[in-house]
Formats: sequence, C-alpha cells, structure tokens
Amino acid sequence: MSTLIVIDQPPYGTWAGREALDMAFSLAAFDQPVALLFTGAGVNWLRKLQETSEVEQKSVEKNLSAAPIFGVEAMYADAAACVRYRLTLEDMVAGVVMSESSSDLLNQYKHTAFAG
Amino acid sequence: MTPIHTLHILNKAPEHPRSVACMGALMPGDALLLTENAVLALAAQCSTLAGIRVYALAPDVAARGLGQCTGEAALVDYPAMVDLTAQAQNVISW
Repeated sequence: MSTLIVIDQPPYGTWAGREALDMAFSLAAFDQPVALLFTGAGVNWLRKLQETSEVEQKSVEKNLSAAPIFGVEAMYADAAACVRYRLTLEDMVAGVVMSESSSDLLNQYKHTAFAG
Repeated sequence: MTPIHTLHILNKAPEHPRSVACMGALMPGDALLLTENAVLALAAQCSTLAGIRVYALAPDVAARGLGQCTGEAALVDYPAMVDLTAQAQNVISW
C-alpha cells in the first residue's frame, strides 16, 4: 500500500507540516513504501541554509535529513511551485527530485494524504 | 522618516487569501511589514509595490533561509518593529 504525503504548508508558520512529516516517517519505519511531495508554499521546506535560532525552532532541514535513514523512498518538489519561489535544485537540500506534473504523481500512489 | 499612513502587518504566506486581500488594500504612503510566513513573498515573484515601503522581520527571514533575496525590503528586528507600529497612524494586522 504505497502512500504519498503532500506538504503544501509553509515551514515554521504552522505545525501541520511537521505532523505530516512524522506520519511519513512512521509509515517508513514500518516498511510501508512512502514518498513526500512538497508543493505550493511547502517547497520552502527544502531551501538550504535555514538559520532558526532566533525563532527558537528546530530547523526542518534537520528533520528532512532523516528521511532517507527512515526509508522514505523519494522527496519530490513541484516544479511550478519552485519557479514561483525561485528555487532551483542547487538551492535545495540533497536528494530532491523535481516533479514536472504532480497530478500524475498523485495517481501513482494508492493513498495520498495532505498536511493539515 | 516620512510618516506612515497605515502599517499593514502580514503574517500569511503569499497564497493565503488574506495575503491577496492585504495586497489589494495597500495605498501609496502605507507601509507593509512582513512577518512569519509572509516573508516568503520576498522569494515569490510578486509585483513591485509602488510608493509602499516594505519591511521584513529579520529572524523570520533567516529561519527560512531567505537572506539573499530581500530585494528592496528593509530587514528589521523586534524593537524596530515596535517603533514602526508607534510611527504609523493606523495599524492593520492581517
């Protein structure tokens, strides 16, 4: 049962994104095939060099670096959203795959869930 | 420092309907202060705001790794943010 977790919430503003990431990690930890799709304002999760000490929150960058260790299969970024937020693959954390057509991606998974 | 007519304080991401409403309400002589998720507007391609002074809260900009794309926005810290609210005749917290 393959699952796609979609994060369209911006980082730090709400907890919805982090909860979705925890759900993805839990699925992966139990050997369920799971992938992540970042779209809309959610692509900002993937930006490198996040300096969060002033806002006293753990950087989501660190959370994301655990994804491969947990066994998350892939991290997709919606190409159109990346253009909108001027994000290229170099600006993003390692291991991100650009998704040109996210609607097709949704159809490849048995179950899709959104953050928040 | 020319007086600020209305200070718009926005903390919503660009896609949020409240952000769209805020942009529509800006008048020349107003100032826009971007905080929390609203600082993402600095990265997003959005129209330049003629006659509007744009400020962004530095800790939120740094947290989201947006240091290099502040464009014409001025970075402010928390005390400076308080000063802005004191200077403005009206304040709208969106």
